[in-house]
Amino acid sequence: MAYLTVDGAIKRYGATTALNGVSFSVAKGEFFTLLGPSGCGKTTLLRSIAGFSQLTEGRVDLAGHDLLSVPPHKRDIGMVFQDYAIFPHLTVAENVAFGLKARKVATSEIRGRVAEALATVRLAALADRLPAALSGGQQQRIGIARAMVVKPRLLLMDEPLSNLDAKLRLDLRDEIRAIQRTIGIAAIYVTHDQEEALAISDRICVMDHGCVEQIGTPQQIYGQPATRFVASFVGTMNLLAPAAFGLPEVKGVAQWALRPERLRLAEAGAGAGERGAGNGAASIAGTVEHFSYLGREAHLTVQAQGHRLVAQIGAPPPDLAIEAGRQIRLSFDPADLHGFDAKGRRVQAELAA
Amino acid sequence: MSAIAVGATRRSWRPDFWTLVAVGAWAILIVLLLIPLGLVLVSSFRDESGVLTLANWQRLFGSTRYFNAFINTLIVGFGGLAGALLLGSVMAFCMARIQIAGGRFVSMLAILALVSPPFIGAYSWIVLFGSGGIVRQTLMSWGIFMPPIYGVWGILIVFAFKFYPYVYLLTSGALANVNRSLEEAAENLGLTPFQRVLQISFPLVLPALSAGGLLALIHAIADFGTPRLLGRGFNVLATEAYAAYSAEIGSNLGMATTLSLALILMSMVFVFIQRFMSRKNVYHSNLINRPEKIRLRGFANVAAHAAVYVIALGGAMPAIIAAIYSVRKTNGPVFQPGFGLDSYRRIIATLGDVVMNSLMFSGASVLLIVVIGTLIGCLVARRNTAQTSLLDATLMVPYVMPGIVVGVAFIAAFNTPPLVMTGTAAIIILSVFIRRLPYAVRSSAAALRQVGPSMEEAAISLGYSPVQAFLRVTIPLILPGIIAGAMLSFVTAVNELSSSLVLYVGGTITMPVKIYIAINDGDYGTAASLSTILLVLSAGAIYLAFRLLGRDERALL
Repeated sequence: MAYLTVDGAIKRYGATTALNGVSFSVAKGEFFTLLGPSGCGKTTLLRSIAGFSQLTEGRVDLAGHDLLSVPPHKRDIGMVFQDYAIFPHLTVAENVAFGLKARKVATSEIRGRVAEALATVRLAALADRLPAALSGGQQQRIGIARAMVVKPRLLLMDEPLSNLDAKLRLDLRDEIRAIQRTIGIAAIYVTHDQEEALAISDRICVMDHGCVEQIGTPQQIYGQPATRFVASFVGTMNLLAPAAFGLPEVKGVAQWALRPERLRLAEAGAGAGERGAGNGAASIAGTVEHFSYLGREAHLTVQAQGHRLVAQIGAPPPDLAIEAGRQIRLSFDPADLHGFDAKGRRVQAELAA
Repeated sequence: MSAIAVGATRRSWRPDFWTLVAVGAWAILIVLLLIPLGLVLVSSFRDESGVLTLANWQRLFGSTRYFNAFINTLIVGFGGLAGALLLGSVMAFCMARIQIAGGRFVSMLAILALVSPPFIGAYSWIVLFGSGGIVRQTLMSWGIFMPPIYGVWGILIVFAFKFYPYVYLLTSGALANVNRSLEEAAENLGLTPFQRVLQISFPLVLPALSAGGLLALIHAIADFGTPRLLGRGFNVLATEAYAAYSAEIGSNLGMATTLSLALILMSMVFVFIQRFMSRKNVYHSNLINRPEKIRLRGFANVAAHAAVYVIALGGAMPAIIAAIYSVRKTNGPVFQPGFGLDSYRRIIATLGDVVMNSLMFSGASVLLIVVIGTLIGCLVARRNTAQTSLLDATLMVPYVMPGIVVGVAFIAAFNTPPLVMTGTAAIIILSVFIRRLPYAVRSSAAALRQVGPSMEEAAISLGYSPVQAFLRVTIPLILPGIIAGAMLSFVTAVNELSSSLVLYVGGTITMPVKIYIAINDGDYGTAASLSTILLVLSAGAIYLAFRLLGRDERALL
């Protein structure tokens, strides 16, 4: 059941088109992510839903009512900002209470709800501090508490983690997801980090140049990319010419794509990399160009028949070392290939042997 | 609500607070700036009987008198610029890179030079170096001949000491911000210290030098008091415009407006040249490695200290002389030996209304400047449209308008219906308001750009209307900046002379105008004590501003 629907959203700035007919719907309680490179229109779309930017054309409905005719401050939509936007002249508790005061909530109730919200984001001890002395992660927790405490109809998050360091990003990501599940609020999350999008979302909308490339679950986005853009933006892809490595010609396929983790090291002594090599595996001979050992995985760059392929070896043995220039064989299951036509759209091809 | 719905979208247009601000801003600029300026332009093409003519412009370039004034203005402008650059850059280099004993005292003296009431500077130089000046007389009694300070050289010396703080304050800031690693890198690459200064340090501070120089240049060509008192026949456009306007017999508004226009055009040309020069020269370097102040020894140390203290005391000398002369015993306008508070008693007894006028007019204009300047500043900072860019550009006009010109333009506009304001307090308040408005707009726009729009958006998303969000979030955040700006506006407002001189009548006389009259009447005790009161007021306002902003002398420019 659609809770929020965006229909034919178009945004033009003079000659440039930031959004070119974007449509999707979000269910109640769903965690929906807009994913794309910078400049793809995802933030413009989010700001249009919040009311900070006006669509040139299109409709947005929330719970069955037109949203765009409502002024931004009456939309009752919570927002979390990339730069936190914590009011530096108010204490942590006053920041969280700010939206409740606008809603004329009784003072006694404000106190209770603020305390509860701060406990949820684990900032109860800092309630009376001014935010200037707090870390980025703590400030963003205030931002989340401030947006959630008013129980908005929808929660928007504009790259909330992109200013934080890597470790904190992982922790806060899980926290955001947990809080959103507990409250059961519909959330739209904007990010350019594909790993973050895969980890946090119920569904992902991948955007490029103002257009929707694909909408689907993380598994669909990663496993069955609808376009070549989605395939290479989400994760890494080896792109192969249609007739490379003796692959059969399939009508309409202009390019093949293969995930690095689907390439296996066929050579003896490759250890874990060789497991699961099934029947009918295609095989590639090539020269090692570069090898890097990363601990939980290892990356291998191989030159083969004019292609530069990247293979990812999961859980490599600690003694694994492959020097550049060595001849090796890689194998893969043709069923793992993704075919794309000349326009970059997915072609369904049966290639299992 | 309003018929001026700019950029109507397909959705029904809602009355927007900021659209109203834009409409109000344009209304103010049209009434107080564009119409008066337009009338100045029209008036310069009319003769006394109102017939369209080019006679005024022909006289400007045809008659030796006005052509000389034109050339003289260029001479004092570039002379003042050269002097200010010389003193200012020496001072800046010494203060930024060399350990100077009493550095804080020196920078206080520079501020004192900056806020000295107009006229009193020239007068104090006459007290010391005029025909009967103390220093000159003493030297003469020792048999050393010294020419009196009148004429073009006198004006240039006064300008150098009066305007050096513009160059000094901007350049020392820039010098203190040049990453030392850059100079070390240049040294490491084999440049001699002299080459290093020329090729690395100088280009990096050039934008600051040229900005400071421009301020000195614009103030020098607009300055009215110094050539008036020291010129002795050396006339510039500002003094000629005033003379053409105020001549007892045959007051010639057409000529006054023509001279005013020439002055504005000259200022504008210099502003554009400076902008063009420094357009691509803005450098941002990271400040990991701040320059250190070196400790000089021996002769070099003495020379650096001597240079700094001569410049600083020379600049602050008018203020110091005024303070000393204000407590000399007087008998009527004549100084007597010894000290006493006669002059202050006289002010309390007879000039209370002048002091009150100054305080009330300044207070009122600062109030207007702060409220309207902040609103327009927010508009300019937040709405980046062609319309707000044009607003911002139009606000540059008062920035280059000499006070005399504002006065003459207001007379031209508000002496006849529909809006008659000549002789009222309002016209003086509004003239100060329009001159200082650009500064308030710029400083509040700058303060706002630091706050960032997401603060207000956060408040709106939490349920506050845009106006409420602005009042509850943005205003508290920029308030210290606004109050500090108000204090600095007060300093300029209370010291404003040249436009008030054109606009005042008996009942609206202010302290700077009274100082001018008192000096012309030879009543130096009154002039000195009024100047001292102005200095104390200015110092108090600056102290408050620095408490709020943090000490930043550059805010005064």
